[in-house]
Amino acid sequence: MSGQSTHHCAVVDAAQGKLDPAAAIEFVSDPGFGGIDMFIGRIRNLNHGKVVTGISYDMFEPLALAGFRAIAEQVQAEFGPQLKLYIAHAKGRLAVGDLAVVIAAGTPHRDEAFRACRQVIEAVKHTSPIWKQEHYEDGDSIWSEGCSLCEPQNAEDTAAAHHGHEHH
Amino acid sequence: MKVEVSLFGAFRDHEPGAQVVLELPEGARVAELRAALLDYAQAHWPAFRPGLLQRSAFASETTVLRDNELLPADGRMAVLPPVSGG
Repeated sequence: MSGQSTHHCAVVDAAQGKLDPAAAIEFVSDPGFGGIDMFIGRIRNLNHGKVVTGISYDMFEPLALAGFRAIAEQVQAEFGPQLKLYIAHAKGRLAVGDLAVVIAAGTPHRDEAFRACRQVIEAVKHTSPIWKQEHYEDGDSIWSEGCSLCEPQNAEDTAAAHHGHEHH
Repeated sequence: MKVEVSLFGAFRDHEPGAQVVLELPEGARVAELRAALLDYAQAHWPAFRPGLLQRSAFASETTVLRDNELLPADGRMAVLPPVSGG
């Protein structure tokens, strides 16, 4: 790796375009990397037994992007230089089947790729200033409960999930 | 100092403009902003439940700020309800 940036962080407005998993694979590819793992978060049609028609993502974009970069740097500090990361999240109104988040990790071997990718998505979910409002078939819309940033173990944690509330 | 507080997530339902401007003493800390926003919310938002604010953090554009930290000189802050990205 030749001084090129080793992580890419982005926010994509749903009104402007879609997340692109192929671009994520391209970014984390390297001649020395034999393992790539990707997580894709996609809008599903059911939550808590209610038919979901879409989700609106609200976001504090400058802080979210700063957080994505901090997560990438922390994971790279932990895993060493042989790692490329791609973090992209959508904002705005998405429909069922649309992609909400794409995370990819490229490394020499599969174990670090799986672990780095998992660590990044958990940190993004628990610490990024992003809020989802679910829209239902019956016309109702509800903001999701979420994960409080007041609790230091959440705000500073980039490890895998370990705390008590329900995740979706 | 004038503090512009940007609102996100469930706070938007209470304030469609998604921003509140509050007057605080120079050198105020996040805890004072939290108290001032609670007063504002209880006076202006009929459906407001204080639990939402208790579980919310405050941040500048670059970092989450704890209750004992000073507000930034530019007076630009955001209140962040519990997050639900991904």
